[in-house]
Amino acid sequence: MSSFDALLAGFGNALQPVTLMWGFVGCFVGTLVGVLPGIGPALTIALLLPLTYHVPATSMFVMFAGIYYGAAYGGSTTSILIKTPGEAASMMTALEGNKMARRGRAGQALATAAIGSFVAGTIGTLALTFFAPLVVDAALAFGPAEYFSLMILSVVAVSAVLGNSMLRGLIALMLGALLGLVGIDLQTGQPRFTFGQAALLDGIEVTVAAVGIFAVGEALYLGWQGRESKAGEVMKLSGSLWMSKSDWARSWKAWLRGAFYGFPIGAMPAGGAELPTLLSYYTEKKLSKHPEEFGHGAIEGVAGPEAANNAAAAGVLMPLLTLGIPTSATAAIMLSAFEGYGIQTGPQLFASQGSLVWTLIASLYIGNVILLVLNLPLVGLWVKLLKIPPPWLYAGIIVISTAGVYGAGNSIFNVGLLFAFGLIGYAMRRFDFPAAPLIVGLILAPMAEQSMRQALTISMGNWTTFLTRPLSGSLLAIAALLLIAPPLWRKIRNR
Amino acid sequence: MTPFRIALLLATLCAVAAWQVGVIPESLMQMTVGPTLVPAVVVGGLAVLTLVYGVSAWRGRQSDESLAEDQSALPGANTRLLSLLAGGVAFMALVGPLGFIIPGTLCGMGVARAFDAPFHLKSAIVCGAIATAFWVLFAHILGVGLGPGLPWLI
Repeated sequence: MSSFDALLAGFGNALQPVTLMWGFVGCFVGTLVGVLPGIGPALTIALLLPLTYHVPATSMFVMFAGIYYGAAYGGSTTSILIKTPGEAASMMTALEGNKMARRGRAGQALATAAIGSFVAGTIGTLALTFFAPLVVDAALAFGPAEYFSLMILSVVAVSAVLGNSMLRGLIALMLGALLGLVGIDLQTGQPRFTFGQAALLDGIEVTVAAVGIFAVGEALYLGWQGRESKAGEVMKLSGSLWMSKSDWARSWKAWLRGAFYGFPIGAMPAGGAELPTLLSYYTEKKLSKHPEEFGHGAIEGVAGPEAANNAAAAGVLMPLLTLGIPTSATAAIMLSAFEGYGIQTGPQLFASQGSLVWTLIASLYIGNVILLVLNLPLVGLWVKLLKIPPPWLYAGIIVISTAGVYGAGNSIFNVGLLFAFGLIGYAMRRFDFPAAPLIVGLILAPMAEQSMRQALTISMGNWTTFLTRPLSGSLLAIAALLLIAPPLWRKIRNR
Repeated sequence: MTPFRIALLLATLCAVAAWQVGVIPESLMQMTVGPTLVPAVVVGGLAVLTLVYGVSAWRGRQSDESLAEDQSALPGANTRLLSLLAGGVAFMALVGPLGFIIPGTLCGMGVARAFDAPFHLKSAIVCGAIATAFWVLFAHILGVGLGPGLPWLI
């Protein structure tokens, strides 16, 4: 079956009323968590993991995809109206969008962000549709050695390239790897790092770590700071949501350029969404006929970065669906959800779970339309959400977090771990350690160990197999380059 | 708390983890890589990175966000932190004997207190509504096993 036929079959499934309903719920919840500060898609998906026992896999992943895309859409509302970027990728939107809002053009800023997100999200999904099968074909040649090297490349990229400090990123990664190794070693049956506690034999649940770090950690940090209850003003929803002819003319090229930055960079192991949004912003500033407006509310400065952000969201799904490699915290949680359903990820996913994957991709197209419809007409509702007083907002976030973790296995020990991870999250937030490497390390460490052992069994204990196999060697060389090049470059530049 | 103290905490963690690597039982299975190699490499890597971080922190080169402009904690920071954690402890202590809703309410009140909401009736009513809504959604509608909502339902 060609990709196009498979996609059509996926649309057939995604348009079933029940699947459509889950997609709609996902988009709605995603926009909600994108709008609300302090709660993001990784946390939301982690909280919903206990539902995996009750809902069919296809419906669940369609909902997760809706949450993932929806959060990227919703984040722009918060950035524009209260200048609080939920994540680094929304920084430029906050900078220009909030200035537009202050000049009475909040409506146009929200409109160009939403339409740009739709355009770029659709372009990103198109690219995912047609490039994913090609990546799968290439990945079928991967053996355990290549997988091990690819995982090393991914974790190095996520830790060393993203974030403010390579050292702190690598410490977070090692901490995550250490936590990932807790529990019974699956090959030998020996307990590791369990301190003789039976509760630790099954290892540390990704949900507990992710929810603890993202939700409890954030609440602890903001509570400790004590500034949240004196939060900044929410801008009035001024200006029409209809864009003028000039707004359209200044936006459409920025949307397209943003999409073409976002998808390929998002699909790379080290890509993320921060780099394409920054590139898009500076490109628009350079190409604009009104460069003087940048920093004071230029519409291109919202259109381009928002498009790049959404296209990057589609890009991140590429390594997840084709290789089983997560390159962001949200992708790591989604990988954990696949494991929860007993679904083997990697290139074989397209063959063994073709219907699920193509339904998921089709639902991304539909989700984009739903989000466009949800975002603009309901913007008044999203603005009201921003006015929820912080004590009740964070009480809700922590109670739902506790319910999500407790509901997964009625384990009080896990609730204790949740708050312990909250303290770790608080310290990480305060001392600027990135959270994504910890989560990615937690998930990938046991998988990388497994691949390494398989590769060594095949090579009869020959460690050079990782270097002598061309693809594996190349991946390790890139990983080494990523580790060495940035500090070397800094040193050269300082001279 | 300072970055150097974080380095000391990490060093303590490394020491504990190294002790745990030492007590991993050797496997009787014949294999190239046993159960201890990867944990040992990870702990070793973390120890080296911690050392570098510690030296860097000692020289004052590591960041503490709370020292940045507009980021420092307002008075009463530790009390707020502790009230949030106390909410979590209350939940853990009471969810067994009292079901979900009352401990969930107390947990929410602890969190709300951390965000400067007084510990009074309004807080109890709002947090009670939140805990009840989540219990109904998760346990009643979605079938997640949160246990009974109230003690008399146990």
